[in-house]
Amino acid sequence: IRCQLFPPQRPLQASAVLRRASDEQKKEPLTSSSQQQFDSHPTNHQPEQEPQGPRPSYTGQGGQESEDYESEEQLQHRILTAALEFVPEHGWTAEAIAEGAKTLGLSVAAAGMFHSDGSELILHFVSQCNTNLSELLEQEQKLVQLGEAEKKPTDQFLRDAVEARLRMLIPYIEKWPQALSILLLPHNIPSSLNLLTSMIDDIWHYAGDQSTDFNWYTRRAVLTGIYNTTELVMMQDSSPDFEETWRFLENRVADAMNMGSTANQVQSTGEAVVQGLMGAAVTVSNAERAVRTE
Amino acid sequence: AGGASLRPCSTRVTLEGINKPVIDRIIRVDHAGEYGANRIYAGQMAVLGRSSVGPVIQQMWNQEKDHLKKFNELMVAYRVRPTVLLPFWNVAGFVLGAGSALLGKKGAMACTVAVEESISDHYNSQIRTLMEEDPEKYKELLQIIKQFRDDEREHHDIGLEHDAEAAPAYSVLKTAIQLGCKAAIFLSERI
Repeated sequence: IRCQLFPPQRPLQASAVLRRASDEQKKEPLTSSSQQQFDSHPTNHQPEQEPQGPRPSYTGQGGQESEDYESEEQLQHRILTAALEFVPEHGWTAEAIAEGAKTLGLSVAAAGMFHSDGSELILHFVSQCNTNLSELLEQEQKLVQLGEAEKKPTDQFLRDAVEARLRMLIPYIEKWPQALSILLLPHNIPSSLNLLTSMIDDIWHYAGDQSTDFNWYTRRAVLTGIYNTTELVMMQDSSPDFEETWRFLENRVADAMNMGSTANQVQSTGEAVVQGLMGAAVTVSNAERAVRTE
Repeated sequence: AGGASLRPCSTRVTLEGINKPVIDRIIRVDHAGEYGANRIYAGQMAVLGRSSVGPVIQQMWNQEKDHLKKFNELMVAYRVRPTVLLPFWNVAGFVLGAGSALLGKKGAMACTVAVEESISDHYNSQIRTLMEEDPEKYKELLQIIKQFRDDEREHHDIGLEHDAEAAPAYSVLKTAIQLGCKAAIFLSERI
């Protein structure tokens, strides 16, 4: 399951209406090369990297766009990122998006660009968290490659990765149950499933999984189960710094490791039993032959 | 209301600029194919291992093992998902190999001819696809597939040399096996 490419960029004529006339400022030009970068690297969250101040300008009536227009996608990203700040107060709702739009100097009508149930805000947040996790794991991997850090054993790696990812929910933990139920709505399932599976695949990739057989599926299924159950435990956890959750996580990961070694043990025991039976059969047939030739 | 539908996705360390869906399919189905071919030869060896064609089959099997090893590496490098049907190809391949071998040496060779012909045609169409996309970008992959296509062609010719065409119900057998191969290719590309 691969990530979907964003819809093609379109010029942002409609957004001109959303701007308050007094706030128009010239922004650093978005060069065409960076636009192309956005096309072929849909995960380039360029808006998040810019400073909040300067914004694109428009040659309104002339009909010609200036070179530095931003696409609708980029604008939506900026609004949603700004909206996250208001989620603890307003929840995953159009209100939070409207507040976010306000901080960017846009009219609250900007929230009309999105579904009223806050789906895009949640999906945007999850996508951002996953991106952060990947970057974190990538950096850790670099450190190990440079010899500046020890390579972690698999169970610890998985534990740390899942913990790091779940900790990103802490600022929004009050409203997260609401988000989970929205992610389970039928029209959101394809996207949320996509995000979940690619996150789990990322974790296993950095953990060093190189399986090319059915284990590929088994491992990801197991880790998905661990992640989801730990997330649910976290919702109910009121211990200081979520200690109970991390202990639960540790136990589940240990169970999963045991399952793997138990499966191996069962297999080798089975093989040993078969060999024993074969040996017994040979012995019996030899004995029989000896008796017959007497 | 209801604006453009955002379809967010996670960042992954993707190999820059490659057509991921196309490469995904190619590697997944090729991996499945080599895996199946391995199992077919394993089945044939189980029945005919001690016969006169044993060494021939063993040699072809060894080459398939190398092919599979290569695709295992490519699968990890390009982060491709293996087909979920692998356990099924495991059994089906072995049954096909053993079954065709039970028809005799010529039966086993006929199976080899049918399968290798399917596989070389399939590799050829993949080569065409990659050449249409961008021969420069996919140079390494193209080289590998071309080499393997030549190997499979060689197996096909070896099969013919060993009287595959004299096998019982050769044309029926060949058609049936090739139909199965087409179905396997179709499924492995997608699931």
